[in-house]
Amino acid sequence: MQHIRNFSIIAHIDHGKSTLADRLIQRCGGLADREMEAQVLDSMDIERERGITIKAQTAALSYRAKDGQVYNLNLIDTPGHVDFSYEVSRSLAACEGALLVVDASQGVEAQTVANCYTAIEQGVEVVPVLNKMDLPSADPDAARQEIEDVIGIDAIEAIPCSAKTGMGIDEILEAVIAKVPAPRGTLDAPLKALIIDSWFDNYVGVVMLVRVVDGVLRPKDKILFMSNGAQHLCDQVGVFTPKSIGRDQLSAGEVGFVIAGIKELTSAKVGDTITVLSWPASSPLEGFKEIKPQVFAGLYPVEASEYDQLRESLEKLKLNDASLQYEPEVSQALGFGFRCGFLGLLHMEIVQERLEREFDMDLITTAPTVVYEVVLTGGEVIKVENPAKLPEVSKIDEVREPIITATIFVPQDYLGPVITLCNQKRGSQVDMHYHGRQVKLVYDLPMAEVVMDFFDKLKSVSRGYASLDYDFKEYRTADVVKLDILVSSEKVDALSVIVHRANAVYRGRELASKLRELIPRQMFDVAVQAAIGSHIIARETIKALRKNVLAKCYGGDITRKKKLLEKQKAGKRRMKQVGNVEIPQEAFLAVLRVEDGK
Amino acid sequence: MSERRIIPLVTRPPVITRAALSAPPPLSLYVHFPWCVQKCPYCDFNSHAVRESIPEQAYLDALIADLEASLPQVWGRRVQSIFIGGGTPSLISAAGLERLLADIRMRLPLAGDCEITLEANPGTLEATHFGDFRAAGVTRLSLGIQSFDDAALARIGRIHGGDEARRAAALAAKHFDTFNLDLMYALPAQSLEQALADLEIALSFAPPHLSCYHLTMEPNTAFGAKPPADLPDDDCSADMQEAIEARLAQAGYQHYETSAFARPGHRCRHNLNYWAFGDYLGIGAGAHGKLSSHTGIVREARHKHPNAYIEGVARGDALQERREVGTEELPFEFMLNALRLIDGVPPALFAERTGLPLAAIEPILVRARQDGLLEMDANGLRPSLQGQRFLNTLLERFLPEVK
Repeated sequence: MQHIRNFSIIAHIDHGKSTLADRLIQRCGGLADREMEAQVLDSMDIERERGITIKAQTAALSYRAKDGQVYNLNLIDTPGHVDFSYEVSRSLAACEGALLVVDASQGVEAQTVANCYTAIEQGVEVVPVLNKMDLPSADPDAARQEIEDVIGIDAIEAIPCSAKTGMGIDEILEAVIAKVPAPRGTLDAPLKALIIDSWFDNYVGVVMLVRVVDGVLRPKDKILFMSNGAQHLCDQVGVFTPKSIGRDQLSAGEVGFVIAGIKELTSAKVGDTITVLSWPASSPLEGFKEIKPQVFAGLYPVEASEYDQLRESLEKLKLNDASLQYEPEVSQALGFGFRCGFLGLLHMEIVQERLEREFDMDLITTAPTVVYEVVLTGGEVIKVENPAKLPEVSKIDEVREPIITATIFVPQDYLGPVITLCNQKRGSQVDMHYHGRQVKLVYDLPMAEVVMDFFDKLKSVSRGYASLDYDFKEYRTADVVKLDILVSSEKVDALSVIVHRANAVYRGRELASKLRELIPRQMFDVAVQAAIGSHIIARETIKALRKNVLAKCYGGDITRKKKLLEKQKAGKRRMKQVGNVEIPQEAFLAVLRVEDGK
Repeated sequence: MSERRIIPLVTRPPVITRAALSAPPPLSLYVHFPWCVQKCPYCDFNSHAVRESIPEQAYLDALIADLEASLPQVWGRRVQSIFIGGGTPSLISAAGLERLLADIRMRLPLAGDCEITLEANPGTLEATHFGDFRAAGVTRLSLGIQSFDDAALARIGRIHGGDEARRAAALAAKHFDTFNLDLMYALPAQSLEQALADLEIALSFAPPHLSCYHLTMEPNTAFGAKPPADLPDDDCSADMQEAIEARLAQAGYQHYETSAFARPGHRCRHNLNYWAFGDYLGIGAGAHGKLSSHTGIVREARHKHPNAYIEGVARGDALQERREVGTEELPFEFMLNALRLIDGVPPALFAERTGLPLAAIEPILVRARQDGLLEMDANGLRPSLQGQRFLNTLLERFLPEVK
């Protein structure tokens, strides 16, 4: 156990975490050079393309240190986006140390700080690393200063490195051995293994990633899940290098996988403790907080006949994504679909993209919304996660909206625009602190504003330098109204949004005008109206198309004309027929593209 | 809010069986001549700019060898029209054309009143040959005027000017009883007045037939890749179309196909055969053919590049592609052609030419009629005025569903 080190990497998106992980794996020979694919730990296509990590991944590395001894290093990669911060705390629970990777030219970012605090709270040793030293703009001294100012840890020994060129890789590995404590645990004790993550594999069923705290786990052991008393026969144990490699046992201090012929992900809950039936532990380890979805949106198949396929696809996705929630929903405009709950906007986008790509679904997604608490006149409190379901005004006593506390790190140069943005989004300032080049802003913001487009706006007003982390704070009374959209005089429930009263007229006008741009011209004039209750506040007309015909069609060769019409038809397949109007998918998200009024 | 339950209906298409055709459709011959002096930026036809000289002799030899090899497919059937298109077939010498038509006559039985159309460009050199072309047996000339306006012609990359266009039109009128002038509208920077001025000049030659095409940005053309910035917008080009149609109706022309107008008795029989889903043998580089037999309908295409074609014919392999039209594709293929006709076709023609009962497409027909795109009675199955304007929307519905 003295030769084991469990550590993870904390870094902001783009600060080079996955590249550094690749480099460490390569240095320790976890994969042959020909097997190295950029960002090996990001196994999903989407992870690689977007350069983000969604699921935690691990790699067991073997490293011969300068003291001549061979160490087993377990690297547990963590997601860097705020939507997936709960995965970070889980990964950290399996570690004694964490590399804090900071881009030497950009300095500390909000997400990094939040994750770093989580690490410190969990008693994990933080080893600062300054990455991207190969860039001419690298300023290690300023970055060190920021780490000390903002996070408050000693950064004098922060290791300069470049994951790109390989500089400093050995120094990092040596520092992990020297600074990260070896795991503490008792080999000769009842088994206690914490489930850090679990996912569904089509061939072997549920795979659990565990950290063994005490005792030893071997194949053929009868295991017991301490939360629900379920028993299973342990089939295989092993580690990822990141290839999966079977082992005879996993013992105290180690991180590895367990396969036990489990069919349902729900029976291998993350945070549960596994013990052995023959020598059970008396009490479970402390688990994790359960995560509740914060953002809801409707997902509908473009073709009504694909409803069953969508349900099956969601079921399969859920196998690997316990945080995804969904329940059937009916829209007058869109037919049968599902109201889905997500951790955040990125999570929503990813689910949508996976459904389209991996399951070949054509989807309509409605605008994301937060969960409102509505107090009815009778005193009853209901939760509303679909704008179309907001009760009539006369039945509402009060609507409460979720408020978050947002921590924003922004270079001083962009402070003004960021403050303006927060004010525009109905934020109230809680705190502001200068840390070297950066300013830390703390704002209370309505979550509804954040799910709309806050993140994109923040990026654009700060040229990408601001970073954001947030936590739910409370429900607060809000003066909101439901804005309805009528297309050809028919209310399209899927286009309804809940907005703040002060913005309602402006948003209604903007939304109607956006829809006029997004809905293609049809064979007849189409009226688009925005209404609050029965009061029409905006009207736009989509003028009829005059003609749609191929002037020349050489009768001999029809292939190209046929292709053209097939393409046109395929385009329409991605539209939804509402009444007699064809509405493209992106129109249902038009509200996200509406600019804010001043 | 009340919630209406929506039950998704699963409509199963009726099982369609195709019967053998009761009689072979009329047969036409298409001959492709793949060279042009210069490629026009809007053209997506199979044409190649002339490098040094056209290998006329070798090409004519190949055409005839190709025809001979194809004879078994059309054995005993009389040819009711011939169309020599391109490219610029008027680049062919008068002697070469005479030889081509003589060789065709020797091998294929032509109907007594067989229409023989030649496409021609208004270049000075070609125009001097119009009389010889007539003497060689061409009965109809189709002249690619496009516009009489020098500036507009230059914008669409034509090598002739307005004066040459006028001279060629006059010569066509002198030598041919029936001829066609091709005009284009919605040209870069063109106004409604300019489009109508072009039309007036065309009318001054009293052409028996006029084709008025909306300039279209086709994929895989220079314009397709980079459309001119000053094209008239949709509303303006729609105004042009309506004004052109109105003017031609006033001048006594019948609008009989999407872009074609004719004086009584001067409709293009070759094109009518396409629109009525007739058969045609296509010879020459990149030529397409459609041939019916009791086993089914086959579409074929020759090698596109002139050299590849000449070599292919020599090997006894002129075809680049040959495929049977699937049962599910037939309704669309039939309608793509038939619904271009303003008067449509007799409803019975569908079964006659495709072997499918009209009932096979009943649900589509019903919906198209409900939506005001289609009209149908005992005499005809035809697009409504709305259906003519939105022909793509109408045709699209006949495409097989894919998923």
